[in-house]
Amino acid sequence: MRENGSAYRIFVAFNYTFIGLLSIAALYPYLHTLAVALNDGTDSMLGGITVYPRIPTLENFATLLNDSSIIRASFVSVAQTLGATFLGLVVQFTAGYALTKRQLVGRSALLMYLILPMFISGGLIPTYLLYSKLHLLNNFMVYVLPGAFSFFNVIIIRTYMYTIPSSLEESAKIDGAGEMTILWKVILPLSKPILATIALWSAVGHWNDWTTTLYFVTSGDLHTLQFKLMLMIKESETIARMIQEAIERGETNIDAIVHVTPEAIRAAQVIVTTIPIILVYPFLQKHFIKGVLIGSVKE
Amino acid sequence: MSRRRSSEYWRQIKKDKHVYLLMTPALLLVFVFSYLPLPGLIVAFKDYNIFKGFFGSPWVGLKYIREIFELPAMTQAIWNTLFISLLSVAVCFPAPILLALMLNEVRQKLFKRLSQTLLYLPHFLSWISVVGIAYAFYAVYGPLNDLLLWIFGADTERELFLSNPHFFIPNILLLSLWKDTGWGTIIFLAAIASVDPQLYEAAYLDGAGKLKQAMHVTLPSILPVTMIMLIFQLGHLFQSNFELIYGLQNPFVDMEVISTVIFKQGVQQGAYALSTALGFVQGIVALLLTIGANIVSKKLTSSGIW
Repeated sequence: MRENGSAYRIFVAFNYTFIGLLSIAALYPYLHTLAVALNDGTDSMLGGITVYPRIPTLENFATLLNDSSIIRASFVSVAQTLGATFLGLVVQFTAGYALTKRQLVGRSALLMYLILPMFISGGLIPTYLLYSKLHLLNNFMVYVLPGAFSFFNVIIIRTYMYTIPSSLEESAKIDGAGEMTILWKVILPLSKPILATIALWSAVGHWNDWTTTLYFVTSGDLHTLQFKLMLMIKESETIARMIQEAIERGETNIDAIVHVTPEAIRAAQVIVTTIPIILVYPFLQKHFIKGVLIGSVKE
Repeated sequence: MSRRRSSEYWRQIKKDKHVYLLMTPALLLVFVFSYLPLPGLIVAFKDYNIFKGFFGSPWVGLKYIREIFELPAMTQAIWNTLFISLLSVAVCFPAPILLALMLNEVRQKLFKRLSQTLLYLPHFLSWISVVGIAYAFYAVYGPLNDLLLWIFGADTERELFLSNPHFFIPNILLLSLWKDTGWGTIIFLAAIASVDPQLYEAAYLDGAGKLKQAMHVTLPSILPVTMIMLIFQLGHLFQSNFELIYGLQNPFVDMEVISTVIFKQGVQQGAYALSTALGFVQGIVALLLTIGANIVSKKLTSSGIW
């Protein structure tokens, strides 16, 4: 490779610079939002905030976290994420294992049955009408049940399980283990890596979900954090009411309230909603990438 | 089927009954949530009345299907969807490929890992968080306006980006690029990394510089992956990013797409038949587009999804 020419060196310099700038561009807007969330609201309105707060304050977060509906929404979000992810793992793990059995009669029919919904779907209204009949509207289970099964995840799990040597199953059988014992004591421990990947992937997806609330929930008690964020963005009254209630509760003095602007609250809510993802992200990046790569390998 | 073969099947089924048992949760869930809604599509052909239900409501045939193509609000939404999707494919599809090619040339491991970590980050944020971040970024006293003032002088007027209808579509593209370009490189990087180095050597010996090598070795080698991704994109031409667009809509910007119309007309306004009809047609078109794109791809490049 002609890698010592000056043209190549210029290309390399340009490459590193460009990628460096893109990386900064990826991070900057988030840091800016964090800065606004930590900055005095009235001061932010003067402009010039970059990635650090000029007049640091925790008042924005305090107003948010003292609001009982926000606290409740965070519980709902956590419950949704845990419940849906756990159910998803159970359903997809069992299905993935079952589908590794090549001798299964009707296996391709089952696969067809599972893959068809990816191409043909009822759409929003038929789904809405069904949930209405199933009493899933305004019901916490609407966060857990429908999202539990994903064909992609099952295939990824199955692909991974193919790499488990069948000799392990056979020797367990020879030792007298029943099928369920094999699943529980042999397959499950060996599948931990892929289950961790799927779990993290699902968890992020469920944590970020707000359209389920939008479509199927009207009760304020079942709002999630993401949904609250959407309300704060789309409806200016939401924040105004929140500030008003904080004043009425007398929890923060009026002087501090003046400095809490809707923009600052909105930024703080973004941070509150994204903090779990951000905190967990650097350690789990490698799991996610592995999942994508396994999923993209066709057998 | 001879008696012997069918009794073999039955024996196998009995041996595997625990396997079928393991499958039941998944089969049940898929049945309830993916297949049961399907008969609801009948609502597209009826003047649905909640009290009369599915069977009691009067049949109107293609009335609402026709309305989709006649009502100006509907046709406008369809056109908007198509327009945004085509722009998205043109702008956002090549971006991860180009970035992957560039990332592939980075030798410094630490720099590569660090930049990738940063570039993947926006992918994990929800679309509504991205909108929230955008609101702070585009704010009248936010960094983008600050930058404008810095470039064009302190007298320039600060721009209200989010209430400017002309900014709506460029913004959609910008935010989509910001969120998904980095993550999109993963698949392409894997494909690029699997190219046989001997092909590059052969090209070099034939006098090809880096650019020619990229064009004649790398790109053709990642063609299968690229075509599969492209087919998916084209199949979704009449769908759009509901979360992003709904999140960005505000009183100053009057742009609807198919998915926002389905939601607003259906769930909010209760126009079930019209909304279902629109969703139904959208689904059929998506299916036909995917099949069609796959056929064309196979003819032109002999790679496709199936």
